[in-house]
Amino acid sequence: MAMAFLVHDARHLERPSRRLVDRAARGTRRLWRVDVLQALAVASVAVAIALFLADGGATRFADPGAALTSLGIIAGLVATDLVLVMLLLAARVPLIERAVGHDAAMALHGRLGKPVLYLLVAHGMLLVAGYTAADGIDVVAEVVTIWNLPDLPLAMLGFALFVVVVVTSLVTVRRRLRYEVWQLVHLLSYAAVLAALPHQFSVGGLFVEGGWQRWYWLVFAVGSFAAIVVFRVVVPIATSMRHRLVVESVVPVGRPIDGVFSITMRGRRLETLAASGGQFFIWRFLAGGQWWQAHPYSLSAVPHSDRLRITVRALGDGSSSLARIAPGTLVALEGPYGIFSEAARTRDRIALVGAGIGVTPIRSLLEQATFRPGEATVVLRTTAPGDGWLLDEVADLCRSRGATLLTVPGPRGRGWLPDAAEREGLGLAALVPAVADSDLYVCGPRGWAEQLIAEARAVGLAPEQIHHERFDW
Amino acid sequence: MRRRAVLLASAASAAAILGGWQLGEVATDGLTATGTPTVTNASAGSADDGTGGSSGSGSGSVDFNALTPKGTTSGTGGTDAGGTGAVATTVDGTFEGPTVSTRFGEVQVQVTIAGGAISDVTALQLTDHDGRSVQISNRAEPVLRSEVLQAQSASVSLVSGATYTSAAYLQSLQSALDAAGFPG
Repeated sequence: MAMAFLVHDARHLERPSRRLVDRAARGTRRLWRVDVLQALAVASVAVAIALFLADGGATRFADPGAALTSLGIIAGLVATDLVLVMLLLAARVPLIERAVGHDAAMALHGRLGKPVLYLLVAHGMLLVAGYTAADGIDVVAEVVTIWNLPDLPLAMLGFALFVVVVVTSLVTVRRRLRYEVWQLVHLLSYAAVLAALPHQFSVGGLFVEGGWQRWYWLVFAVGSFAAIVVFRVVVPIATSMRHRLVVESVVPVGRPIDGVFSITMRGRRLETLAASGGQFFIWRFLAGGQWWQAHPYSLSAVPHSDRLRITVRALGDGSSSLARIAPGTLVALEGPYGIFSEAARTRDRIALVGAGIGVTPIRSLLEQATFRPGEATVVLRTTAPGDGWLLDEVADLCRSRGATLLTVPGPRGRGWLPDAAEREGLGLAALVPAVADSDLYVCGPRGWAEQLIAEARAVGLAPEQIHHERFDW
Repeated sequence: MRRRAVLLASAASAAAILGGWQLGEVATDGLTATGTPTVTNASAGSADDGTGGSSGSGSGSVDFNALTPKGTTSGTGGTDAGGTGAVATTVDGTFEGPTVSTRFGEVQVQVTIAGGAISDVTALQLTDHDGRSVQISNRAEPVLRSEVLQAQSASVSLVSGATYTSAAYLQSLQSALDAAGFPG
């Protein structure tokens, strides 16, 4: 029984020769940016603490009450810092998006939510303890005193809103919510931050006096909010207006029961979008009942002159109504995002492995990736031989560009390959012999991709050689 | 995070925290050196300072760092509300101390001397930069006042949890007492 089908073999075409581009250097530069950005994020916490220490030093820890109060203030400052970092991570700042990638930035954004919540709880408890110790009264009286501080009720409201935002983002809760509801609740986080600000001025005295602390926080807070406004509102609106994208056609791909559609759109000056193969946009189809839904979909064809194309599978309730989008519908777009593209390359060889609808960005990346004949391999996981969306297009591209194409059909298994294939000893290194010295692009369902990535690590690929983006937020 | 990122982050963080701590130490040297600083040094040389009246006119604020032993002694001239000028003998009347700046706000006290004794101390200004400071100074002020009245001197201990307010309060008071020629 055949475990894998060699649709097109280009391996014999590979010739040792000079490098096309100095990929190692380019990859190194991006990784440096990643490291510096990560270090900056961590250091911002340290700076928040340092600015506090610079304003009082050891006197802030002179007695137990003062020490508790100081720790409480530090917890609040670190929470403020992390919230601003979260805003920046979600702001689609090009510097961050291009270095770290959209999904990694959002993953970190998501991971910071709970720690911030804990810090805020600690902030409140430590300050009550510290104030109680300093004032020498009982806790209840102290809580009443604190409640009477200016802007405290507002700050508590901000905290409550933040709790709501974090709780609705917990995986178990989030699964039960419609994306749009969750997103609407998430907007409350801006209100939470704004409600918490006044007490930092009036109680904390953070911004009252001159000096570094005031300017640091002012610039940081204003900068973060400005980044959100610019990159999530102004730039997308400007992009949408400049390109005036409209739906040209909606065409079923494969069997109708699959619910897969290619949506071709036409617009102006699409080359100035600077979108490259493998990247995605966040799309809004401006039709009744649709405009408020934002969909992240990858390009399935690189923009050419006045056309671009996405291929989507109707899974969510929003996606299925996409099939009924009428030609002529205006489209608003946000992007391009993601580094599932040439931007992340570190090697000359490239291996593209996709499952199901994950073929979409692989199709557009294959169209544009830089490689010489024989250096690229595409592996597609399909359910049946000859099956697979866009398979014909991928096969054509492989033939014209000199890439090897393999399909591995079979039912979903425990690993990333069908169980039968795994029993036969088939693996990544067998399918793509030179994979250890390749960039590996992985696109498919989450569990499947995790299995594949684990195997890639096991056969010796470094993390920076593995490129994978998640969309299932 | 890669090792390089960890190293960068650690170095930057350590530098920031150490730098911050150092700055804080320098700025509050005087406060931490003695634990519970007294303000007696502020009066050094002022009793026989013949030019006290002129040098003190208009010195509205004294830097808080003047609390340190190495601090200047020229800032001790309070405005003499009694109108008789600074002399070396105790004069009955009401004397305003200078305004002392702290990082939580400015402090200024007024002392009333009657029959050669401190009969009252009134705070004209207390630390009020933020809500918490107002609470703290409102708590510390009556304590300081009663201690001063009891001790008949500005050499009383600081109220815990209100270090800055207390120190500034006592400094302003001491200057007012000096202006009055009060032997304290």
